[in-house]
Amino acid sequence: MTPASDIPALSVRHLSVAYGVRPALWDVDAAFPRGAMSAVVGPNGSGKSTLLKAALGLVAAESGHVLVMGRPLREARRDVAYVPQRDTVDWDFPITVREVVEMGRHPRRGWFRRLTGEDREHVDAALERVGMRGLAGRQIGRLSGGQRQRAFVARALAQRADLLVLDEPFAGIDARTEAALLEVLTDLRDAGTSVVMVHHDLQTVRDVVDHALLLNVRVIAEGPPAEVLAPENLRRAYGEVAGVAGAPAWAV
Amino acid sequence: MGGLIGLIPLPYPDAVVALGAALLGITAGVVGCLAVLSQRSLVGDALAHSALPGVAVAFIATGAKDPAALLAGAACAGLVGAVLIVGIERGTRLPPDAAIGVVLSVFFSLGIVLLTHLAHDAGAEQAGLERYLFGQAAGLLERDVQVMAVLAAVALAVVAAGLRPITALLFDRGFAAVSGLPVRVLELLVTALLVVAIVIGLRTVGAILMVAMLIAPCAAARQLTDRMPVLLVLAGLTGAVVGVVGALAAARGQAPAGPVIVLVASAAVALAVLGAPGRGVLWTARRTVRARRRQRAEGVLVDLETAMHAGAPPTAAELAAVSGRPPAQVRGGLADLAGSGRARADADGRWRLTETGAAAAHAALESRTLWAAWLEHGAHLGLPDAREPDPRDVRGSLGDVAADRLMALAGGGRR
Repeated sequence: MTPASDIPALSVRHLSVAYGVRPALWDVDAAFPRGAMSAVVGPNGSGKSTLLKAALGLVAAESGHVLVMGRPLREARRDVAYVPQRDTVDWDFPITVREVVEMGRHPRRGWFRRLTGEDREHVDAALERVGMRGLAGRQIGRLSGGQRQRAFVARALAQRADLLVLDEPFAGIDARTEAALLEVLTDLRDAGTSVVMVHHDLQTVRDVVDHALLLNVRVIAEGPPAEVLAPENLRRAYGEVAGVAGAPAWAV
Repeated sequence: MGGLIGLIPLPYPDAVVALGAALLGITAGVVGCLAVLSQRSLVGDALAHSALPGVAVAFIATGAKDPAALLAGAACAGLVGAVLIVGIERGTRLPPDAAIGVVLSVFFSLGIVLLTHLAHDAGAEQAGLERYLFGQAAGLLERDVQVMAVLAAVALAVVAAGLRPITALLFDRGFAAVSGLPVRVLELLVTALLVVAIVIGLRTVGAILMVAMLIAPCAAARQLTDRMPVLLVLAGLTGAVVGVVGALAAARGQAPAGPVIVLVASAAVALAVLGAPGRGVLWTARRTVRARRRQRAEGVLVDLETAMHAGAPPTAAELAAVSGRPPAQVRGGLADLAGSGRARADADGRWRLTETGAAAAHAALESRTLWAAWLEHGAHLGLPDAREPDPRDVRGSLGDVAADRLMALAGGGRR
């Protein structure tokens, strides 16, 4: 292993976040490896989204620090693409799919510059990759939930970032889109991009993810999914209630 | 400026008013879009009311009616109001709408008290109070318009230059922040632009109704376009036309300009909301009625086909009985089918399908099968892109190849 690949794509140390007096994250240490597909899992309210948002500077942390590819976030912003939860944006906004994807080129090109032919090629390729080329001219509100998520992922693809961070990318979308987008993410990972996502479906995590972080305000376990998602850890994260239910959801 | 006024084919005082109203309309229309799209239009309302005490304080401080000083006072007070709104939101547990309400009422009260006090002192200034409350078009001077023109040019230039980052911020704040855009600074900039637009409009439209000039042009323009740059241009144009028409009408009728301009603006919004091609209320209503009627006819068509397979051609009453549809619906559907040549009645009132009707019934049945098959097997169809079918025309929207594969997945020729 070369030293460079030892540096995690995203690492957080002693990260604590509180909403009011209630801690949302408590002294979290995590290191998501480079070139891998990682998932953050945990029960509702366990701080999964907060972890991503705090790591990207979207919510203020009480303590802790974050490194992207070994550098402070401030210096590495161009190398990070972020796909927020779908309900955080205004879908009535007067913008087309293509314009959303073009937005992904501006962090690199500069916000006051026009896009070049090269940028447009990246935009076309990203639209093509998620199967949205035929819908590029549509206003985003006229898309289905799955198509909206595809547009968001296309924007992240167009950024050509080394680290892709997705917050619940598969929440509330159809099985077909989930399969298509998982394939896109797997291909990206195989091409060397680091992927970190919040995900709620433990079966998918077992099947496709290389690295998992099990969270419930504090870190329960981190490492290969098979070990992290062991019954004992899941009981500690999700509580005994699931354990006594006979056939708990996680015990697939 | 004088040259420009000379170009307007109106008497000089009217030309000054028209130019001022156009500047106000363009700026309020364009900048108002930013407020509406960020769902902060009521902040604009609070800022307009907040500007009032600023005008009074500037008058007391300078002792003269220098328009630039009064506008500067209005701008300062507006910004203080904006800061207070943000401060109350962050520092207390009050929700944003309550913070806006608090700032609006406190500043407005302060403004009224100060202006009333001034009016008592200066006697002749009584008209000044009403002017800033309800606006006044007449009496706008060329030097006022000069100040307005400079402010409008700066505001529009800033919007044009910052369009991309501002769009990113308004559409997806999280993305903008992660991309390294200074979102706080941009938000402050948008607020400052709002203050500038308000300051330009304060004298003509008045504090109470200024918010309408921020919202109405955007609301009307949004009915006509789905593109941000086009929206801004259309909103600016709408604002300008509405401002000029309203201000000139108010000047003629000796009415306060604010209410007249706002009524004209509301008429523009009503027109756009009702009649905008493709998405006005009238169009949507017509589309809904047509879709329902089409669906009713198609349902009756399929029922009739099924009934004819089962036995003799049915009467309308028999068809209603076997299909479980209300008789009135069946009669309406049959009338539509007869009108389009898909079914006809014998002399004794028995209905049968025509040849086109039979073909249409088969197509409708296939489309239903295809839609059901899509819901069941769509994920395994392996479509190369993100297309999704139109339930009313699955074959047309997916293409023949995909439709045939769907039929195969659904179990071949099952009807």
